[in-house]
Amino acid sequence: MSAAPGRTLLTGNHAAAWGARLARPKVVPVYPITPQTPVLELLTEFQAAGEMDAEFLTPESEHSVMAACIPASLAGARVFTATASQGLMLMHELLHYASGARAPIVMANVNRTVASPWAFWPDQTDSLAQRDTGWVQFYVESAQEALDTVLQAYRVAEQASLPAMINLDAFYVSHALEPVRIPAQEIVDAYLPAYAPEHLLDPERGESWGNVVSQEMYARHRRGLGEAMERVPALAAAADREWRERTGRGWGVIERYRCEGAQALVVTMGSMCGTAREAVDELRESGVAAGLVKVRLFRPLPAAELRAALAGARDVLVLDRNYSPGAGGVLHQELKSLLYGMAGAPRVHGSLAGVGGLNVPPAKIAELVRRAAAESEPKREAAWA
Amino acid sequence: MNQAALPPTAWTTGTTEANRTGTWRASLPEYRAAPSPCKNACPVGGDIARWMQQAKSGDWHGAWQTLVDHNPFPAVAGYVCHHPCEAACNRAAYDGALAICALERHIGERALKEGWAFPEPPRGAKRVAVVGGGPSGLAAAWQLRRRGHAVTLFEAQAELGGLLRSGIPPYRLPRAVLDGEIGRILAMGVGVNTEAALKSEAQFARVSTEFDAVYLAMGAGVPKRLPQLDYGQDWAVDGAGYLALANAGRAPRLGARIAVIGGGSAAMDVARSARRLGHGVTLISLELEPQMPAQREEVVEARAEGVVFVPGAMLRSVARDGAQLRLDCVHVNFAGGNVDVIPDTGFAIEANAIVTAIGQDPQLEPLRARQKAEDGLLWTDTHGATSREGVYAGGDAASLQRFVTHAIAMGKRAAQAIDRKLRREPPAPLESKAPVPFGAINTFYHYPAPRVPGGRDAASQTAAAVAEASRCFSCGECTLCDNCFNFCPDMAVKRTAGGYAIAEEYCKGCGLCVRECPTGSIVMTEELR
Amino acid sequence: MGVRESMKDDLLCSGHVACPGCIEALSLRRVLSLLGPDTVAVIPPSCLAIIAGAQPLSGLKIPVYQPALETSAASASGLRRALDARGKKDTQVVVFAGDGGTYDIGFQSLSSAAERNENLLYFCFDNEGYMNTGAQKSSSTPHYARTGSTPAGKASRKKNLTEIMAAHEIPYAATACAGFLPDLMRKVEKARGMRGLRLITLLVPCLDGWGVPEDQGVALARLAVETGVFPLYEVEDGRGYTLGGPPKSRPVREYLEKQGRYSAIDEATVEALQAEVDDAWARLVERTSKAAPASASS
Repeated sequence: MSAAPGRTLLTGNHAAAWGARLARPKVVPVYPITPQTPVLELLTEFQAAGEMDAEFLTPESEHSVMAACIPASLAGARVFTATASQGLMLMHELLHYASGARAPIVMANVNRTVASPWAFWPDQTDSLAQRDTGWVQFYVESAQEALDTVLQAYRVAEQASLPAMINLDAFYVSHALEPVRIPAQEIVDAYLPAYAPEHLLDPERGESWGNVVSQEMYARHRRGLGEAMERVPALAAAADREWRERTGRGWGVIERYRCEGAQALVVTMGSMCGTAREAVDELRESGVAAGLVKVRLFRPLPAAELRAALAGARDVLVLDRNYSPGAGGVLHQELKSLLYGMAGAPRVHGSLAGVGGLNVPPAKIAELVRRAAAESEPKREAAWA
Repeated sequence: MNQAALPPTAWTTGTTEANRTGTWRASLPEYRAAPSPCKNACPVGGDIARWMQQAKSGDWHGAWQTLVDHNPFPAVAGYVCHHPCEAACNRAAYDGALAICALERHIGERALKEGWAFPEPPRGAKRVAVVGGGPSGLAAAWQLRRRGHAVTLFEAQAELGGLLRSGIPPYRLPRAVLDGEIGRILAMGVGVNTEAALKSEAQFARVSTEFDAVYLAMGAGVPKRLPQLDYGQDWAVDGAGYLALANAGRAPRLGARIAVIGGGSAAMDVARSARRLGHGVTLISLELEPQMPAQREEVVEARAEGVVFVPGAMLRSVARDGAQLRLDCVHVNFAGGNVDVIPDTGFAIEANAIVTAIGQDPQLEPLRARQKAEDGLLWTDTHGATSREGVYAGGDAASLQRFVTHAIAMGKRAAQAIDRKLRREPPAPLESKAPVPFGAINTFYHYPAPRVPGGRDAASQTAAAVAEASRCFSCGECTLCDNCFNFCPDMAVKRTAGGYAIAEEYCKGCGLCVRECPTGSIVMTEELR
Repeated sequence: MGVRESMKDDLLCSGHVACPGCIEALSLRRVLSLLGPDTVAVIPPSCLAIIAGAQPLSGLKIPVYQPALETSAASASGLRRALDARGKKDTQVVVFAGDGGTYDIGFQSLSSAAERNENLLYFCFDNEGYMNTGAQKSSSTPHYARTGSTPAGKASRKKNLTEIMAAHEIPYAATACAGFLPDLMRKVEKARGMRGLRLITLLVPCLDGWGVPEDQGVALARLAVETGVFPLYEVEDGRGYTLGGPPKSRPVREYLEKQGRYSAIDEATVEALQAEVDDAWARLVERTSKAAPASASS
């Protein structure tokens, strides 16, 4: 089954697969895990139908999938893969390896609860637990955004020489069907030039990767990685701008919804943003000056944009569909540290909303906003919603 | 910090050749061509391992050239040498010593068959006299002539060859072989005077004056005699005289049974020649069989030919009854030159004649006034020089080592010393190097194969000769097998023109090259820094 | 083919930091000289990775990729596919892994690569332990051997990698060692001419780990073969068994007494080991005689 480019109904998973197909990767190692499997199934169908010219391989684990991705990328091939939850965590060792190798791999990750206990529900702890691995991280809230972000991620990854992951909430994004515009291949080809890295694993080049380094080299190498990370917000913004010019669709590195004059701002990522927009509308109708700031680029956090977006509000309510034992909500922590020392910084409240895939309806969000505004002082830690 | 000067943190393009790992080691391998034990044992110091390799590869001419470099009589040696090389051969400890003597004979006979000649020698101004045309004198003549000196031989007999002709019988050394190898030397242009014995002091003095140097190799022609025998009788005969006549086809008639007295090669030659002439032979020796100076194979062959052995016995007296002799003998213990009669072991032997072959002495009378003699021999130093300036000596006249190849060796040694003296060079230092031990040979590279059977005849066929030569370990003589090069984990053995060298900047001194060398040509040396 | 005739230029560099007399370095040198320069090597953490050099110096003249320890076969698979995708189908991808990275932590990914018959030439440099980290036990360590983590002697037997890989029916599984160079080189040449997952296990006596003098590595490798402890054989497509090398001709004792790692075993253990070796040899001989030669594999 392959849809012709144009407007069609796609799930988030299938939209991500379409994004991958259009990017023309040359090596695609994959391993199935619920709820990611439709991604690889559609890709293998593309290949079987002769619509995708890539080397597909099916190793025995996600760890081996990532192990195959890295040298494939270093050997000059554009690489794509997808995983979720346990699979992502099994890759953890190699996520560090990939960024240290400056391999611009693009991976779709479906955010699913992390064992134990076993569960299959939307929860972003899996990818947020990888925030130190040096990967660029996007969080998308729709199938269209998933498709577009795969392509933007390749642009950014290959310009920064860093791997990038696009995160989709399990079921809410991965399996929800919605209308999606599939761009023409020519548009994508013009947007994404052929992958041509500076270094290659190739006998004609005669260079090796992975020799042990001294302390000084290691530190210098990490600084280089850090410098690349610092360039990402600007690269991501430029990639998004150019995508808008070519397709009419842009997503920003953050999105501001009804933030003009807002006193209370909801900040969150992924599918929760959709629910939060409704809550903001509801609050505005009832006279509360509320707005939403969607964080699309999480790593690196777009510091300047976020500070500008959050300044002026009295209360910021961070909704975390994730939980870090001992630290609370991850986005909550990151934003508090982002705003530390800023003159006139808002009060930051954290709410552990939707951990484990719990449903968070708009009314609930509205209630959390009112409650936060009524607090005499924000609690230091995120509260269970 | 200047970023441009720092090495890249990733993408390796350099090489570890920048690390000089030679600083690690405490010992260093050395390519050392230690002599093979056969070479050390060989009286002429022959380069046996080298001519073995040449033979193995079919380079027969090259092998012959290597042989004659030290000994111009390879075929003769192949027939009569006592081959101490084989006793010393390292392969004896593995699966059987190399049949070196048989192989030398093969090469020597091939040379004669092919008619290979010695090269034209360069012209020289010096003149050397050689007194004695036996193996020692002829060997000296070869070594001198090839170096360009003019050589004149003085020989007492009508023909050249010394004991090779008059002592060793034709059945043991074919005359064609002897004549061929002598002729090859003479073809280089050697002045020969036969029936020209030097007998007086005046004759020796004149030769000394007329020539730039002299080599005395007259041999030991005065037979020892038993005091209880009257050699004036026709039934008591000197062994040397008997052989000279028998070898020339003019053996004296001596009756049905001969008693031969003596335990050495000459005694065997007498006994076996007499057997061939139809005599019954009883051989009486002081020595027990294992101690007999004769070569073992000669004893074995003599017994097989019907010689009756009476070892460990002594003749006390002879009683005569017409043509019949009664030899009154007794058993003895013979050790360290002392004869101890064993009481009550007397016995009698019947014979018609007695031939004694109990050793010979040189005739030194004309020389006693001119130069030093000691213990009945001409005295020489380690280079063969006598006490008289310009006069050298060797062979049976100067040594008790009464083997053919020792005589040849002494001729070579003296010729080399004469040559250096005539060119006003100091004598070459005598070197004595420890040979390659069996433990240094990695036998993994030498597939077990027994020695070719057949005694001196063993290698007469080419295929057998090549197969036997292939068994040679080549002790100390590198065969360019590349093992050292191949087995170095650090590529610290480099190939050079004609061999190998150690890359000292990298060698870690592990010794794998030494261990895997199949010829024991590499030795670990301690490196002191 | 003689060793001299098959010599190509060395692709291993002097100046590497292997121990003096290291048989791993020697084996690597010989293998590399046959592979030629159109090769990329995958070398996981191991003594070989140390031999490969510290940045910015390399001990090999071909590109090397050093993956995480458990991922050699998976990494090589990705590399292989990328080179194929770029049209470099004749560029060889080889793995040089230790026994730890092959028998233990890397076993899972190897099994998968074998099941997929990835076009890789995989060499296991088997020194029977985690030698790089100080000689701890691996599942390749033989029965009763002393290691850093089995000071009283290993209680379990050595895993039989060649049989396991034969059961995967890969085109070629073989054993070889530097004690028999012509045999080793013949097998490398043969494997090189095939496609699919080919695995050669090289026995590498570790001087420090096994307690062996610096110049005895090659001799010990020979003893391993001659005592039947390490038979030299090949299996093609899981069916065609060929037993080569010299026949089993020496008692195991001669092999054990040369190594420090067996210095504490008693007579009963020696006999037990002899019985194990005899039994394994007999079973291998039986497989060799029963199996029909395999048809040519692509």
